Amino acid sequence: MEIAEVTTFLAGTTPFEQLSSQELARLAGHISVYYCQRGETVQLNTERLMIIRTGIFALYSDQQTLLTKLEEGDFYGYQLLLTGLTDNDNLVCEEDGLLYWLTAEGFHQLRYQYKNIDIFFQRLFGRRLHQYKAQQNNSRFTLKISDIVHAHKIAISGDQSVQQAASLMTEKRVSSLLVEQDEQLIGIITDRDLRSRVLAANLAAQTPVQQVMTPKPYTIDKHAYLFEAVQLMSRHNIHHLPVLDKQQSYSMITATDIIRSQQDHPVYLIGEIHRQTSIDGLEHCASQISGLALTLGKQQVPAHEAGHIITTITDALTQRLIKLAQIQLGPAPCVFSWLAFGSQGRMDQSLNADQDNALLLEKEPVGEIADYFAALAEFVCQGLARCGIILCPGNIMASNSALRLSLKGWSGQFARWVNSPTPEALLKSSIFFDLRVIEGSKGLFNALQQDILAKTHENALFLYHLAQTTLQRTAPLSFLRNFILEHDGKQKKGLDLKKRGISLITDIVRVYALSAGISEVNTRQRLVQLAAKGVMDSKDTQNLSDAFDVLAQLRWDKHQHDLLQGRDVSNLLDPNVLSGLQRHQLKDSLTVINDAQSSLKHRFCREL
Amino acid sequence: MLAWLNNKTTPLSHIVQNFNQVALPAGNIRAADCPFLVIDLELTGLNAKQDHIVSLGWVPVRHYEIVLSDARHYLVNSPVSVGQSAAFHGLHDKDFSHARDLAEVLTELLQHYAGYIFVAHHCQLDLRFLEVASQRIFGKAPKFSFIDTLNIELYRLQKQGIVMKKDALRLPQCLARHKLPQSGQHHALADAYSCALLLLSQLKHSHADITLSDLQLQSR
Repeated sequence: MEIAEVTTFLAGTTPFEQLSSQELARLAGHISVYYCQRGETVQLNTERLMIIRTGIFALYSDQQTLLTKLEEGDFYGYQLLLTGLTDNDNLVCEEDGLLYWLTAEGFHQLRYQYKNIDIFFQRLFGRRLHQYKAQQNNSRFTLKISDIVHAHKIAISGDQSVQQAASLMTEKRVSSLLVEQDEQLIGIITDRDLRSRVLAANLAAQTPVQQVMTPKPYTIDKHAYLFEAVQLMSRHNIHHLPVLDKQQSYSMITATDIIRSQQDHPVYLIGEIHRQTSIDGLEHCASQISGLALTLGKQQVPAHEAGHIITTITDALTQRLIKLAQIQLGPAPCVFSWLAFGSQGRMDQSLNADQDNALLLEKEPVGEIADYFAALAEFVCQGLARCGIILCPGNIMASNSALRLSLKGWSGQFARWVNSPTPEALLKSSIFFDLRVIEGSKGLFNALQQDILAKTHENALFLYHLAQTTLQRTAPLSFLRNFILEHDGKQKKGLDLKKRGISLITDIVRVYALSAGISEVNTRQRLVQLAAKGVMDSKDTQNLSDAFDVLAQLRWDKHQHDLLQGRDVSNLLDPNVLSGLQRHQLKDSLTVINDAQSSLKHRFCREL
Repeated sequence: MLAWLNNKTTPLSHIVQNFNQVALPAGNIRAADCPFLVIDLELTGLNAKQDHIVSLGWVPVRHYEIVLSDARHYLVNSPVSVGQSAAFHGLHDKDFSHARDLAEVLTELLQHYAGYIFVAHHCQLDLRFLEVASQRIFGKAPKFSFIDTLNIELYRLQKQGIVMKKDALRLPQCLARHKLPQSGQHHALADAYSCALLLLSQLKHSHADITLSDLQLQSR
């Protein structure tokens, strides 16, 4: 038995693509075909899987709220088949169509036989669809420290002699040692130190290690990305980094280890950036970013990791520009922190991001101090613009004098936003709450962040307004064929993945994070913290994180495509270009956002 | 389905007799409750006396659902070569290595689908060939009750006052008019399936309680 019209359709429908023609014919043998007419309510009390062949069907909750619309290739009935539980949904035919009914027997046979198909329907049910995609190989661009260094801790205590250190290095054939006291890392010593600080300085062989070691060395966590180690080493011109695991010494990573692991890593761009002595040089480095992005894309680097890499490059450009400015202007007259807001702050920068930065100063910006930082900011912001990171249209930049403030000045600014919030003000200021220090004093920055979190933590009035602002923008309800379906039933072409998707999740998550005093600003990290602290249900944070990844991936793929076509990078997606699986994922992500907005409203916008 | 082979005591003519004895649904039954068998034949020519059945495809419709588990497609051993008609249905002599004897296929049809209303697109031809073949094999022609989706379509179009172009009643044109998926032509089962889709669409676009006799009236 084989009806080509039926099996061809099944073969092109996720998740059946993987079935052989024989298996497709067997699957078709479990199907009955039904013609449904406009206005007809589909009988749902049957334990069968519905596969929509043609037509459009609107799914309503028992309260008659439109949940979504189903079209060709969509499913219904897996809920009942998987759990035995019925919901009181109502499915109404809006456009004449054909339904395939697959028997429970056929459905379960398929699930038992194909793990992937079972997972597909489980995820469809659990709204965690994206994990269906095949396991990706660990790309060399996203190697982590732990991928190349292993627990190989070679340590010496600070009161042992340099002679003992030299013989330990020789015995273990290493060029550096961790120095520990009471199991705590207190420094490192390298063979270069033995040469320049001991032999050249004519010190005795019995000199204790702690006298010549480098105390309080920079360290890196074993779960960090390798390119972050490159970044640290380049910035500080060092070749050895102690690797920590849960704040305990774990191993050492050297520049040689990194070079050996990936000779032609394009993130060497970061190393290049830190070697540049002119803006022309930096501009040349930055011109390689789009090429790098394409390489990352070819290597199937997941979007959130690519965002992290792009951000790290922007960070490097900023840091180098600040160094170059200081060469020209002389050392800063006081301690400062260069701040990044928005996507750079959150480390999820995309290829078309603009600048969002500011300066936090130790002292009030008056007189000489004001002049110095005005010049520095102008130099850096114009430099970044030449490197392709466009000037902020909203003038949220350090070159704007209103954004060069002392700790007191910033604290006052945040106090105004927090204590007398208006929707207009919050709409503009919400990105200021996603801030990160790029260069300069970390201590000064921490003081500001703690001050902000103390203001927002459990501040019901502020959170009410912030949530209201967040709820002003909504995601589309779903989409059908080539059209975006809005809540009012209208249809539009094209979906702005940022405005109608990614930003909504960022906004929702920000409200929760600020309510709980969480200092993380990266959306995925915030979600991890929110689940860990029990602020949000872990299933909800997982769903939001998944939806965020799906949308970020679609945008990243879209940008790659634009680059390849030589077009300007844009966030506007035509649903027509999506694969079957992507359609399911996108629809699912929109549902997650709509659900999360309802929860947000319920949590923060009740009567005060 | 091969039970008839073991049941040697039944004379061949009884197969037709048994088929005829099963009562057909009453005329006032709702079409929704009526069992249909949609059938299509591929032929070597148009003359039932001279030409032969090359293949048969059928699929039942119960409670307005096309039941694919009972869909069948059989190639038939032909007493003469497929010859010229291969140009139409794409079947060549080499395809017939798995072919069945027509007697075997017709026996299965008659034993399983007594009491069904048969459906075909332009059914006169199919009916005639089935009758002639049965007469030869069983010595008796069964009393089939056929309805014709082509005639129903004609009735619908005339009722709507639509001026018909040439070929407007051919199956592919009907499928397109009803916005139904197109299928490869001249494959007996594919055409039976397409015809079944057309029947469902025609039924759904009639009034909800359409009875079998209403349908038979439209089909005349």
